Amino acid sequence: MQTLLQTLADRRGDLLTALWQHLGISLTALVLAMVIAIPLAIWAVRRPKWAEGLLQLTSVLQTIPSLALLGLLIPLVGIGTVPAVIALVIYALLPIFQNTYLGIAEIDPSIEEAADAFAMSRMRKLFKVELPIALPQIIAGIRTALVLIIGTATLAALIGAGGLGTFIMLGIDRNDTPLLLIGAISSALLAILLSALVRWFQTAKPRQALVMFGVIVALLGGGGAYSVYANRVETVTIAGKLGSEPDILINMYKELIEAQDKHVKVTLKPNFGKTTFLYSALKNDQIDIYPEFTGSVLETLVKGQNPKRMTAKQTYQLAQKRLRQQADMRLLKPMRYNNTYALAVTAQFQREHHLKTISDLNRVEGLLKPGMTLEFIDRNDGLKGLKKAYGLDVTAKSMEPALRYEAISKGRINLVDAYATDSELRQYNLKLLKDDQHFFPTYQGAPLMKASFAGQHPQIVRALNKLAGQISETDMQEMNYEVNVQKRSAAKVARAYLVKHHLLTTGAE
Amino acid sequence: MEPTTTKPVAITFQHVQKAFGDQVVIPDLNLTVEQGELFVLVGTSGSGKTTTLKMINRLDPLTKGTILVNGQDSSQMPVRDLRWQMGYVLQQIALFPTMTVAQNIAVIPEMKGTAKKVINQTIDELLTEVGLAPADYRNRLPRELSGGEQQRIGILRAIAANPEIVLMDEPFSALDPLSRQQLQDLVLRLHARYHNTIVFVTHDMNEALKLGNRIGVMRQGQLVQVGTPTELAQHPANAFVRDFFGASRAKNVYDIYVGRVGLSQGYLPKPAVAAGRIQTLAAQATLRTAFKAFRTHDYLAITEDQQVRGYLDRQRVVAYLSEHEAD
Repeated sequence: MQTLLQTLADRRGDLLTALWQHLGISLTALVLAMVIAIPLAIWAVRRPKWAEGLLQLTSVLQTIPSLALLGLLIPLVGIGTVPAVIALVIYALLPIFQNTYLGIAEIDPSIEEAADAFAMSRMRKLFKVELPIALPQIIAGIRTALVLIIGTATLAALIGAGGLGTFIMLGIDRNDTPLLLIGAISSALLAILLSALVRWFQTAKPRQALVMFGVIVALLGGGGAYSVYANRVETVTIAGKLGSEPDILINMYKELIEAQDKHVKVTLKPNFGKTTFLYSALKNDQIDIYPEFTGSVLETLVKGQNPKRMTAKQTYQLAQKRLRQQADMRLLKPMRYNNTYALAVTAQFQREHHLKTISDLNRVEGLLKPGMTLEFIDRNDGLKGLKKAYGLDVTAKSMEPALRYEAISKGRINLVDAYATDSELRQYNLKLLKDDQHFFPTYQGAPLMKASFAGQHPQIVRALNKLAGQISETDMQEMNYEVNVQKRSAAKVARAYLVKHHLLTTGAE
Repeated sequence: MEPTTTKPVAITFQHVQKAFGDQVVIPDLNLTVEQGELFVLVGTSGSGKTTTLKMINRLDPLTKGTILVNGQDSSQMPVRDLRWQMGYVLQQIALFPTMTVAQNIAVIPEMKGTAKKVINQTIDELLTEVGLAPADYRNRLPRELSGGEQQRIGILRAIAANPEIVLMDEPFSALDPLSRQQLQDLVLRLHARYHNTIVFVTHDMNEALKLGNRIGVMRQGQLVQVGTPTELAQHPANAFVRDFFGASRAKNVYDIYVGRVGLSQGYLPKPAVAAGRIQTLAAQATLRTAFKAFRTHDYLAITEDQQVRGYLDRQRVVAYLSEHEAD
């Protein structure tokens, strides 16, 4: 509880921003869904065959898993708020359409007959008789849709639309329960609050309802206008993958760039998503820069055969060359540390079985209970290739990155994949096994941007190049530890490092 | 009341046929309803009486033939003009559930563009007329009313714009006997007051006899007999009409109305006795009232529309009851 309150106090600003984003996305989606579904349902009431088809269609749309839907939308509309809103609208269609349709279709036929016998026009009948009778059911549909939207909107964080999902993702990724709870509880509270508001609308007098609606529109519109206003200076957007390390790096980028050029304002989008999300965001100009690894570039972003056993320098040069040729991108000079994949076991397990290298695992193959990230299991430079290179025959359970450390410390698994700079290696006293076959490629971090952007912003390139060759693996492990375990903010940790190493040359103290 | 040929005609059916798909439910219907008449269509369920009614305001389109309304071919009139001169009362009552009593009554005048002030005045007058205090009832919702009260509002909604014709489709069949009696009396009172043409559909011969100036008996889509209650009672066209009439007696002898005794037994001429021995009763009064009157009087003078139709004594009533028992 203490830590929960502490986290809440530390993150107050972030929480408000996230709430605002969440509310904006949810309400936009809700209003759009209403604008589509209600008139459609009214239209379909007199066309039962169409209505049947539309009900089927909206039901099918609702059964698409939300993650899959978001994935499907990325190639069509990119990432960010737009696909998130589209996905949410799609989910909200069914309850609103169904309730509006049934609400009107199930009106007592004698009431329809009375309206006809009095020669009411179609519109008059709709607004004076049918909609008022169906209203409670329509409102119920809207409330169902709203709760659904607010819950599902937490997934928007996965594709860079922000919102309360950011807290939940971060919480899972950093194994930080208070963060997770704050995200989950806020989203639940928001759903309850808005649901009550919708119910209030149902009973409110028309004038009150109109005033309230105006206030909400003004607030949302005002928020939008403010963000346009705030963005009027030239803004460079830097995003980072999920986790503390990219968060620290992008904070360093921000400090360095803003110290170099006072006219540039850097906006950070930490925990923006996974590799391919970020890469497509960069291609679509939704972000300008993000830190990428040389190994990841060769493995997932560019095409071409990768020669085995390359040195760090060769890896960087090949990645840089292929990015330039295939995507017109520029990968700046990398930092020193190599955040490559590694396998780790507990200190106790290592002692008991005298394990030093990955080859040693062959001796204890029957005892292994590996738990690894889905990404690692599925990659050619991950478990797939590793099994071939070392002749290992194991099957790994797939686990979220943060959960597998929890699992190994509780003894449910005894072999995990890790990044060489993970703070948890230190936190849980895990030992890395030496890659004696030199199987894993080099993963050195460097800023990735479009070649055109680099050309137009030489001062930014200069600023970022100050990090080239800096930061050792232990430096990085230490910084990760400070953020993940000691709960220091990534911005403070980043700044402390830059100050300590005299990288902020112009007076930005 | 005998229909007279000099009265102008409100509704005329000319060779009207109605078919649902291949099934002809009304083969050939010819009928004339006079202006200001309360005409009752009576028949068992499936006899086509409701369909006949709904063809008048075109809720059911005709298959063949013509219906003239005030001499005009109804199929040539804009449906809105046609329906706005006809009130409509439904068996299911069907008040608009989200509107208050006042809003329900105002539905048609509002569409016609009547001034708000006039509408409000009309609402108060009409509510008072049917014994519902406006201050108390105006803002109630239909679900806050009893069934009988709801149908009173249903009737007011139909007559609020003062239509020349009012169509009533079994309006009281879902109500309890007491409410039914009260509402039948209400219809008679309103008809006497506003003189509009009413076409009233029922399956209840008692109701038909009580309300109708003339009655049309329907069976299998055909009009078996059209006539005044007296004609029907005394000269039934065939066995069906006689049986229908006979089977229509009230479940409880006390609820039989005295006009009916006169219809089936015939009335006595004015007896040569002192006026103090004769009690005047409306034809709609029940035998319960008549028995009380016979405790102190020897004769009953039966009136309809304030006019004496004839006289009854104890023997006539007993004869009616004994014949009844023999049925």
